[in-house]
Amino acid sequence: MTNPKIITKVNSVMHQGFEIPLEKLTPEATLFTDLGLDSLDAVDMLVHLEENIGIKVDGEKLMSVRTLQDVYTLVDELSSQPGVEAKLEH
Amino acid sequence: MNTPPTSPQPHRGLGLALVTGSSSGIGRAIAVRLARDGFKVMVHYHQNAKGAEETLALIRDLEGALPPESLQFDVRNPEEIEKALEPYKDISILINNSGIHKDNLTGLMSNSAFDEVIKTNLYGPFYLMRWCVRQMMRHRRGCIVNVSSLAGQTGNPGQINYSASKAALIAMTKTLSFEVGSRGIRVNAVAPGLIETEMTESIPQVAEMVKRIPLQRMGTAQEVAGAVSFLCSKDASYITGHTLSVNGGMFPS
Repeated sequence: MTNPKIITKVNSVMHQGFEIPLEKLTPEATLFTDLGLDSLDAVDMLVHLEENIGIKVDGEKLMSVRTLQDVYTLVDELSSQPGVEAKLEH
Repeated sequence: MNTPPTSPQPHRGLGLALVTGSSSGIGRAIAVRLARDGFKVMVHYHQNAKGAEETLALIRDLEGALPPESLQFDVRNPEEIEKALEPYKDISILINNSGIHKDNLTGLMSNSAFDEVIKTNLYGPFYLMRWCVRQMMRHRRGCIVNVSSLAGQTGNPGQINYSASKAALIAMTKTLSFEVGSRGIRVNAVAPGLIETEMTESIPQVAEMVKRIPLQRMGTAQEVAGAVSFLCSKDASYITGHTLSVNGGMFPS
């Protein structure tokens, strides 16, 4: 069960960073097909996640992500990095 | 007919330019030139703090130039790069100029001479380009110029390490230009030939080499800087993935 704060934060990154309508942001949505991202957007996502959530994501790990739930899970796994908890509160 | 530029500083306001290895030689000339063009310049150095100070002084002496900053890091260390560049995420120009050479005939070259040149000349630009494109993509603009070399285009005896690193820089220029063009980022290279710098002072056969140059002289660091300035300018807005030879005709390309 993913921390709801992570879901909200990731959705907000996807909405604001990539102008994806909130209603499209469902856990099973695939990034490249359903949400229309391309591989370069994954690079953007790496920067957005770092800035907004404070997590350092390994670029190669991000390339194996398929659905939005995969992103939630990845962020969840990395959320013990220092400073992340504070960013999730805002 | 071309209209001459109306402003002496056509790029003013276009942002922040990082020139690696600008404490001497070609890097210094590029830093001064970009400052003259109107960019805010970050003068990077690794060990030559005195040289960086001299570059800063030259820029401060330019009328109307934006105040430059100096930045110290080792291009071979990605963590150091990230830490040093953290405050400069709005970077718009990266000039990968840092480079070393440790020449020897292949049969006599040590492992360390090969490694050191590859780490500075090839890993360094890769780490910097990776960091910079992440930032530049968000702003949907940016310009990268890699300082390659004639040796990377033709090969050069005694420089198996250096020529490999400089050829690879041209290949990386092409690859990255494909990757990030859709985000408004241009990536080009310059390939200087025989240029009057401290690096070429020590070459014993210079006079002999000059005879083979169609323009019959060595180039100057300012002439390389002029080519870099052009690639960073609006006049080059449709040029990406290109390597501009600055070699007096030594190797027509």
